[in-house]
Amino acid sequence: MKKKFLSILLCAAMTVVMFTGCGKASDGGDGTPAAKEGTSAPVAASGEEDHVIRIGAVCAMTGGSAIYGEGAQNAIDLAVEEINAGDSEYKVEIVNGGKVVDDAKDSKQAVNAYNSLISESPEAIVGSFFSSVTLPMAELANEQNMLLLATGATNYQVTLIGPTIFRDCFIDPYQGKMAALFAKEQGASKIAIIYAKDDDYSNGLKDAFVENADSNGLEIVYTGECTTTDTDFTAQASQAVAAGADFLFYPCFLDTVPLLVQQARDAGFEGITMGGDGWDGSDTAGLETYFDNCYFTNHYSSEDTSEAVQNFVNKYTEKYGSESLNACAALYYDAIYMLVQAAEDGGGSDTESLVKGMTGMTFTGVGGTFTLDENGDPEKSVAINTYENGQVKWFKTLSPEGK
Amino acid sequence: MQSVSAPRLFQKEVKIESNRKGRCSEVSLFIQSVINGLNQGAIYALIALGYTMVYGIIRMINLAHGDFIMVGAYTLFYTVPLMIHYGMPAWLAVIAAVAVCVVVGVTVEVVAYRPVRGAGSMTALITALAMSLFLENLAMVLFGSNPKSVTAIFTLPSVDFLGAKLQCKYLLTIAIGLIMMLGLQLFVKKTRLGKAMRAVPQDKQASTLMGINVNRIITITFAIGSGLAAVAALMYCSTYPRCTTDMGSMMGLKAFIAAVLGGIGSIPGAMLGGIIVGLVEIFVKVYIAPGWYEAITYSLLIIVLLVKPSGILGKNVGEKV
Repeated sequence: MKKKFLSILLCAAMTVVMFTGCGKASDGGDGTPAAKEGTSAPVAASGEEDHVIRIGAVCAMTGGSAIYGEGAQNAIDLAVEEINAGDSEYKVEIVNGGKVVDDAKDSKQAVNAYNSLISESPEAIVGSFFSSVTLPMAELANEQNMLLLATGATNYQVTLIGPTIFRDCFIDPYQGKMAALFAKEQGASKIAIIYAKDDDYSNGLKDAFVENADSNGLEIVYTGECTTTDTDFTAQASQAVAAGADFLFYPCFLDTVPLLVQQARDAGFEGITMGGDGWDGSDTAGLETYFDNCYFTNHYSSEDTSEAVQNFVNKYTEKYGSESLNACAALYYDAIYMLVQAAEDGGGSDTESLVKGMTGMTFTGVGGTFTLDENGDPEKSVAINTYENGQVKWFKTLSPEGK
Repeated sequence: MQSVSAPRLFQKEVKIESNRKGRCSEVSLFIQSVINGLNQGAIYALIALGYTMVYGIIRMINLAHGDFIMVGAYTLFYTVPLMIHYGMPAWLAVIAAVAVCVVVGVTVEVVAYRPVRGAGSMTALITALAMSLFLENLAMVLFGSNPKSVTAIFTLPSVDFLGAKLQCKYLLTIAIGLIMMLGLQLFVKKTRLGKAMRAVPQDKQASTLMGINVNRIITITFAIGSGLAAVAALMYCSTYPRCTTDMGSMMGLKAFIAAVLGGIGSIPGAMLGGIIVGLVEIFVKVYIAPGWYEAITYSLLIIVLLVKPSGILGKNVGEKV
């Protein structure tokens, strides 16, 4: 409620500023002490309110992750078409001729992509999907007071860079918290954790899980270390079994997941095995039965039965087929809608208004209903997936309140 | 959904129960760890046998040996589904793997190692290193850099033994390792070919005078070593069903340590070294510190070499394979 009040206050303050003087942006006292910026950003070059949000988009369009870029481009096209055909107060224009700029999942390319977009003076930039390429872009955006709405960048540092950086995906450690919630919900009580000590992602998820274990009535009976290059988990697995665990948390990446799952089951572990979005794409060939009773958290699932998701999935598949329908597409789709809402809440389509609108925003979209916290990170629902005959199946969507 | 309140009512009983269970699981954890260690050790030992064979005959450390396992594993990745498709038992794929590994091993020997044989041990070592990198990169081009999951080769049940769950495939790996070692030892000691193999390292020229074709013996040694690598690949894939292009380098290094630890050039030494490395790794992980297992394994090697430079079963001079 407090956040909502704050955002309304900010909107009101912004509207006042808007009406009192468009040209007086330099006189400093804009009456918003709660605004996160230290200095006032120069009002967008357009000056007059044109009710068109100019958005630049960045994603990996080439290379091994091109499928994400394809999804992003389609999702943006879809969102723009819907918004511009609808009766929204604000319309959207994607700069660079409507095309998403390629960062090739490379941080140098990302900086080039960012600069090429800036030359077209957008009012907000959406992207990118990977943390490693988003971090340098966020540095630049912070220097230039540009609004950057990151999509898939889950590294917790991204939004700490500056007050104009937001994202519409959850941060890495958040999945640890949600996994603990899920463990409780499934009636687990004795938890074993095996994590890769040489990996930030794994440590982050583990720490979040441990922090939230007590409050969910979970007892951690075994914590085992491994490295990202290990192939042998028999020692850790047998210890987890000996400790009597009924839930095994393995927050690591897909390449070692089949090994762990098999060795844990071989050691006699029969409980739930769970991981984070790093599990997405794990190879289950030949291990179909081993993957029964395994779960992992993810950003979204196309099988989610909620109306917003099904609406998006249907429209998307009708137009573009289902091959490129992934979490990335859903996140870019939501991002465009978030900016439109930010313009409405912030009372203008210039960068400053959009930042005001974004700060503390509560948004409902494909990713569920979520509120951006003081860092600009959402606490949102996670999709819990499981396996059926080795195929990933949506199990349920878990909201932060545990519903 | 389990009821949370029920166990709380019987907290005392549950505690006693869990204590008893705790002691019981201590024993089963120990047994399980022994089996896990022996399983891993048997795989190391099979690879170490390959190092030891080649070193024993031509005094050369074939650093590409680990990559022969990678070749074997990729062959299994492609042939196991074929075997299943034609209704044959999956383990028959090992025949294809042995064949491919032998061809690769002999080719490497004839093309890369034989021409530089007279040029000294440093040249041979560098050539082997280059061969290892070449094979790894070739595999990356041919198969891509994504890890591949090998279809389960054995579908064997598990047995409960004193509360420990023992996988029959682990026991099978250990058994195959022992059989291979015994077979090899008998082959080297009892057959004419084995006698020739033992003669070559003692004196190449004298062997030639005795009518031994030295090149042929060395090629056969490589063929046997590579064939063993394929068997090791089978055992590796039954426990860790995944192949990557760089799997050979780490496995190879560990097995090399095993071979040196046991006394390089000695067949029982390779077996003993492999088992020790496997057991130490697992026991360090279980009882000391999981993060330290590699550091401790390598320092073990240094300590053994300080005390007995020729390895546990190695002899300073005299008999080689």
